[in-house]
Amino acid sequence: MSSTTAPAAIDEFRAAVSLRAPGVVFQDRGERVAVDECLPDVTCAPSIESDVSAILSEASACGLSVVPYAAGAHMGGANVPREYDVAMLMTRLDRIVAHEPADMTVTLEAGVPITALNATLAAHNQFLPLDPPAADRATVGGVIAANAHGPLRHRYGTVRDWLLGVRVVHADGSISKAGGRVVKNVTGYEMTKLYCGSFGTLGVVTEATLKLAPAPPVRVTVAAQFDTASAAGLYAMAAHDAGLAIDAAELLSPPATYALFGEPRWCVLARAAGGPGAIERTLRELRAYAGAMRGALRECDEATWAAWARALEPGVLALRASVLPSRVAETVEVLDRRFAGAAALLSATVSAGLIRANLDPTRGIRGGTLYESARDVVARRGGTVAIDAAPASLKRQYDVFGAERADIAIMRRIKQEFDPRGTLSRGRFAGRI
Amino acid sequence: MTMDHAPAAASNGERRWNPVTSEVVRALHRAVGRERVLSTPEELLAYEYDATIERGTPQAVVFPESTEQVSAAVAVAHRFGVPVTPRGAGTGLSGGAIAAVGGVVIALTRMKRIIEVDRVNRIAVVEPGVVNLDLSRAVAPFGLYYAPDPSSQRACTIGGNVAENAGGPHCLAYGATTNHVLGLELVLADGEVVHVGGRTRDVPGYDLTGAFVGSEGTLAIATKVTVRLSRIPESTRTLLAVFDSVDDASNAVSAIIAAGILPAALEMMDRHIIAAVEPVINAGFPLDADAVLLIEVDGLEEATTEDAAMIRGICDAQRAREVRLAVESADRERLWAGRKTSISALGRLYPNYYVLDGVVPRPRLPEVLRDVYRIAETHGLAVANVFHAGDGNLHPNLLFDERVPGATDRVLAAGAEIMRRCVDAGGSITGEHGVGLEKRDFIGWIFDDIDLAVMGKLKAAFKADGRYNPCKAFPTTRGCGELTDRVVARHAPALGTDIYV
Repeated sequence: MSSTTAPAAIDEFRAAVSLRAPGVVFQDRGERVAVDECLPDVTCAPSIESDVSAILSEASACGLSVVPYAAGAHMGGANVPREYDVAMLMTRLDRIVAHEPADMTVTLEAGVPITALNATLAAHNQFLPLDPPAADRATVGGVIAANAHGPLRHRYGTVRDWLLGVRVVHADGSISKAGGRVVKNVTGYEMTKLYCGSFGTLGVVTEATLKLAPAPPVRVTVAAQFDTASAAGLYAMAAHDAGLAIDAAELLSPPATYALFGEPRWCVLARAAGGPGAIERTLRELRAYAGAMRGALRECDEATWAAWARALEPGVLALRASVLPSRVAETVEVLDRRFAGAAALLSATVSAGLIRANLDPTRGIRGGTLYESARDVVARRGGTVAIDAAPASLKRQYDVFGAERADIAIMRRIKQEFDPRGTLSRGRFAGRI
Repeated sequence: MTMDHAPAAASNGERRWNPVTSEVVRALHRAVGRERVLSTPEELLAYEYDATIERGTPQAVVFPESTEQVSAAVAVAHRFGVPVTPRGAGTGLSGGAIAAVGGVVIALTRMKRIIEVDRVNRIAVVEPGVVNLDLSRAVAPFGLYYAPDPSSQRACTIGGNVAENAGGPHCLAYGATTNHVLGLELVLADGEVVHVGGRTRDVPGYDLTGAFVGSEGTLAIATKVTVRLSRIPESTRTLLAVFDSVDDASNAVSAIIAAGILPAALEMMDRHIIAAVEPVINAGFPLDADAVLLIEVDGLEEATTEDAAMIRGICDAQRAREVRLAVESADRERLWAGRKTSISALGRLYPNYYVLDGVVPRPRLPEVLRDVYRIAETHGLAVANVFHAGDGNLHPNLLFDERVPGATDRVLAAGAEIMRRCVDAGGSITGEHGVGLEKRDFIGWIFDDIDLAVMGKLKAAFKADGRYNPCKAFPTTRGCGELTDRVVARHAPALGTDIYV
């Protein structure tokens, strides 16, 4: 894929970076940083921001295309790179710069894994409430770039709600900052929002400051199983409408429930989180709602969420649909029917209108057919489908961000302004920007 | 401050703005109807100010009633190279709605329809002129409300809130405007209508909605806003903690945050505010206290009971003289009336007040607050503090009489020094009011030329040049300084060059 680039340009780039940034470690092409079956000509691993700057400015001067890469946990969520000359491995930028327990903020380098961060914060009863399926490996920078999230989204939203400030290296090597380190700030445009979910197409985040949440004193996970999707949906909505102390509530399709509990039923996996009084009340009401919907509720241990993460981590083909909360249960039910035979694991954050689907297209149904089917089912319900992972052949056929919307013109101009030479993650964004 | 000086083009060839000629006014008449355009000097006077001490007279004010009319009026301004300033209720605290260089003001107050309320999905689609509190009132029958609650919520509009990314006391737990906007219909500087975001939470592509909120009217005009509504909590408890020293009150704030409690609101009022408010509102704030904290927790009955008990214990440990608990809504509303009217109550005691909006990391609150009092004293000014202590967002009010020669100058000098103190403490020059006209010369303390150039790229991508709400949010450019009679610009360089925050 990247072989169109002249070896001379790569050599020139290597030499220039070595001169300017001797600390950069070079590796030869390797499976480790494959993106959509493409391998880079060279991998370089910076450990400080100025190295990132040197790599990007030299790559830009040599006309090369750079893809920032950390744990690789969310690389499937963007389009196939048009060229992939240089992989920039971000995992050596792994320092926690400043934790301010009394201010509940943390400033850290982009390559710090979420679980490592949360292990450090646990001593202070604080945490960063982001739990994407691959949280054990996923880095803060990767989560920002991919706008990755997990079940905690129910209560805590997404990374945009926690990101206070960033330092960013741009395509030409220039370094800018946006936002700040305080929890409330409207000085300057909200550039931080633009970087969330931009998949490394506008700049490379090297450092981030995030707000933290107090860890709830008590957490209890409960699974309620039902005969129908609508009963499960009503239960989830009832819990949401009652304002119960819940930090996660995932509606699981029968194959997903089977993967977790060995029973092919509809299920809502929820976690009560809060003080003892609030927990007691929440569990009591959940039990009552489950009973009213003819469901059976049982307590599970916290490890159930690790099993959820293993089951829902994007595999061969993974889709993410966004619909209105009121349409979730019905949409999941239709998708489950359509996907019968593709071992579809579906999990939906009802309150956020989010449906994750992990599919296995090797079981007889073409991936393209599955994608088109999902896209049409969701579009008829006013929603959109994005691809979280898919074989490169499928991604070449379909834009992972879905059909272009009218605001794509602004997005194209943003990319043009930020990266006129296409140095960063060339072709990977919406509309193959 | 007239448009006579407005250059058609700056001497360096950079395009500038043109004046509103009678030809432009006729074109506006044709675009939106004569009855929706004001252009005589006496009519325009009412549109020359907002809630700051800034002034700027527009040459025409347009009152569109639809997206099409906004687009048509903006297109006229675009064709003639005339500056455009969007305006809501004019309650802004940073000069955002001031027609800094004249031109056309697009007043959105007639676009005040609540177009749709989706109770189940907790979404409302509103026009920009809808008053913040009117939206909450309209959806209250469904058990819902719109969470961002600036103190001016009885008057300020959703469009203005979006432009400034407005906050309010309940930001602490629920976030500012940006956390409650899902989608927007925008009119770009050339009149093009674009939709960004949507009704569902995840819309593929760059987060243009997030980038737009807080852009202070410099990128586009929002003509429809899709907002998230929140569920009215089943239980709310409000505590009033009375302290004999500001330091003790500040320490209590830090202790509450450090204990892992996230109240819905955590506000501080000092003795000057109490003296202004209490005789008018009778909120029950002791006149001899040095500071009071207003602390609110909401959620499940069980949770608010637990949290309120913990907060009481913390305040006692921090030497609170007294902690009162209000559970009934009438009692809670009286406490809040004291908070929300506190700044306007200052108007009874002093002819003028100047509200600042600095933010500091919460552990730095006690020391910065001490310096705020010291700086005001150095400049011979009284200062009253009422602020969002829970998120470190200070609102020192400098009290003065602008008729006293030199008073305004001293206020601006003290204001600049306080802003600088916030920045030096690792904070920001604005937490919720916006940079606007007032603070654009301080922005260089936080952002360097590259940071600002990156923001300029976003502006370019929206096709907005300096003609859209000119002289706002960015450092003073040529054509702004000479047109406004401003003093702030003189103080910024005196306090220090760019620093890295």
